[in-house]
Amino acid sequence: MTVTETHGGGTPEPENAAPAARRAWWRSLLADRAAAPAMLLLMAIVLAALFAPLIAPHDPNANSRAIMQPPVWSERGTAEYLLGTDSQGRDILSRALYGTRLTLLIGLVAIGIGGVIGSTLGLLSAMYRRIDPWIMRINDMMLSFPAILLGLALVAVAGPGVLPVIVALGIASIPDCARIARSIGIGVMGQEYIEAGRAVGLSDWAIFRRYLLRNSISSIMIFLSLRFGQIILIGAALSFLGLGARPPTSELGMMAAQGRDTLMFAPHIATIPSVVIFVIVLCANITGDALRDVLDPRLQT
Amino acid sequence: MAEPVLSLRGLDIRFNSDGHRSRVVNGIGFDLMAGQTLGLVGESGCGKSVTSLAIMRLLASPPAEIAAGEVIFEKRDLLKLSERDMRELRGGRIGMIFQEPMTSLNPVYTCGAQIIESLQRHSGLTGRPARERAIELLELVRLPSPEKRVDDYPHQLSGGQRQRVMIALALANDPAVLIADEPTTALDVTIQSQILDLLRDLQERTGTAVLMITHDLGVVAETCQAVVIMYAGTVVERGRVESIFGDPQHPYTIGLMAAVPRMDTRRGRLAAIPGSVPPPWAQVPGCRFAARCPLADDRCRSEPPGLREIAPGHEIACWKAPIEGMSEMETHS
Repeated sequence: MTVTETHGGGTPEPENAAPAARRAWWRSLLADRAAAPAMLLLMAIVLAALFAPLIAPHDPNANSRAIMQPPVWSERGTAEYLLGTDSQGRDILSRALYGTRLTLLIGLVAIGIGGVIGSTLGLLSAMYRRIDPWIMRINDMMLSFPAILLGLALVAVAGPGVLPVIVALGIASIPDCARIARSIGIGVMGQEYIEAGRAVGLSDWAIFRRYLLRNSISSIMIFLSLRFGQIILIGAALSFLGLGARPPTSELGMMAAQGRDTLMFAPHIATIPSVVIFVIVLCANITGDALRDVLDPRLQT
Repeated sequence: MAEPVLSLRGLDIRFNSDGHRSRVVNGIGFDLMAGQTLGLVGESGCGKSVTSLAIMRLLASPPAEIAAGEVIFEKRDLLKLSERDMRELRGGRIGMIFQEPMTSLNPVYTCGAQIIESLQRHSGLTGRPARERAIELLELVRLPSPEKRVDDYPHQLSGGQRQRVMIALALANDPAVLIADEPTTALDVTIQSQILDLLRDLQERTGTAVLMITHDLGVVAETCQAVVIMYAGTVVERGRVESIFGDPQHPYTIGLMAAVPRMDTRRGRLAAIPGSVPPPWAQVPGCRFAARCPLADDRCRSEPPGLREIAPGHEIACWKAPIEGMSEMETHS
């Protein structure tokens, strides 16, 4: 935001350019050559996953006699199974659609858990410097615990399933979120309007909610969007290791694992879900980066 | 008129950090009379802003610690109030405006919403009446087209306009005391005089007592009736504005006056006081200004001078007072 004039209000001033520049953030996002296609692709993937039951040509769990059929573009491929079938004759396109759905859901819920708890802790320690060292030391301890190990431990206790994976990923993202939220929060707490808010007699709760949180949330969301890609990757890795979704359900990481045995004869079974994971993570990262560039003035120099 | 609304008595403020125990404010005291504007003057780091934050109990502790003293406001010692009672006073009976209008408003809410928030908090106004009162306040601070501006976000306003909004916010609940912490420092000169005019005018209309914290003697001359001059955390001189400007007695005040650039003497370099303020952790046995004072002798360096009255309503902390003004200073330097 730049304010180009400073006459104190004796005369009415023309509308200044700042609000216009703010309104057009999505415009500059679209002008970004890397971000625009990435964002559109990500949106397409999300929509396809969301409407999987409508789009999927087959039941993702139904076996057929066409076993390990290659995708349509190879010699023996058929239009019946666009992306071929796996070793049990299930349609890979349908499974990939449902799998993406589950993978995205795991990522979203996990980042939601980690984001809410992490940023609350981070902002609290930015606001109350007395508890800051305590929260941050516990945070450091959590930070030294890899997400995969945490996932293994939780699954060992609770048995494999989607829920333990989500919880593990959520817990694993708390320390990072707390750290980022804390540093963003400390920047906001240093602003004069916090003091001005106190000088108006606001309670700590009002300062936290209306001043600190509202002014930090956009930067935190940008961090979460960057973190989303990593979470999906770790979630897929956990499923690949057999800790996540249980067999008939499709999940991208698990699909890749199931294709591992037949990698020599039918490479598409493992490759297609892996490529989908790759594309999702890449698009999420590029979009997050671009969002940060466009929306976060703090990082502009 | 003779009744003080806000009295500081022997206020001691310390900062504890990294083992340093800095005495930032040493036993300062003054009375702010009803309907009066009192200028608290001193250079950067002399403890002006810390004092104002201490009155509002907004100093972060740690590191700050109010070691001694009283802040009497409407017969209560603010330093002994509970946090809850203190919150009632902040923005209610005591308003405050800050140095940096560009960053003093919450950027995610409209100006109106911030004024309404304060009205809701203290006067219990909500909905339509609160909005109307907010517009009325913006009109009071002469913001153009207030009924439109009330829905503007801070970034849509200029610095001067934001400071007007800050003033409206501070005056929202008819405070008895308005603390203005360098309200014009961040503004350019033409806006400065507009804001000062506005403050003076509002004070006449509302009868609010104003504590004007500034390093600008021009601001003091324009707005204040009484002055307290601070140096390195102590009060060195206080009195009515005419007596201090007409007959400054403390060598520091005299130095400050001489350092004000003047239109009529264009020649030569600007006058300055040699040396610098002792850091707050320095143990100075005598007068804290002694190291920079052209008149200082052994007594000044070993024994701290207390405030004493040298003329009715004019007090000074200097062993050498009364001094015959600048001529004597110049012969010594």
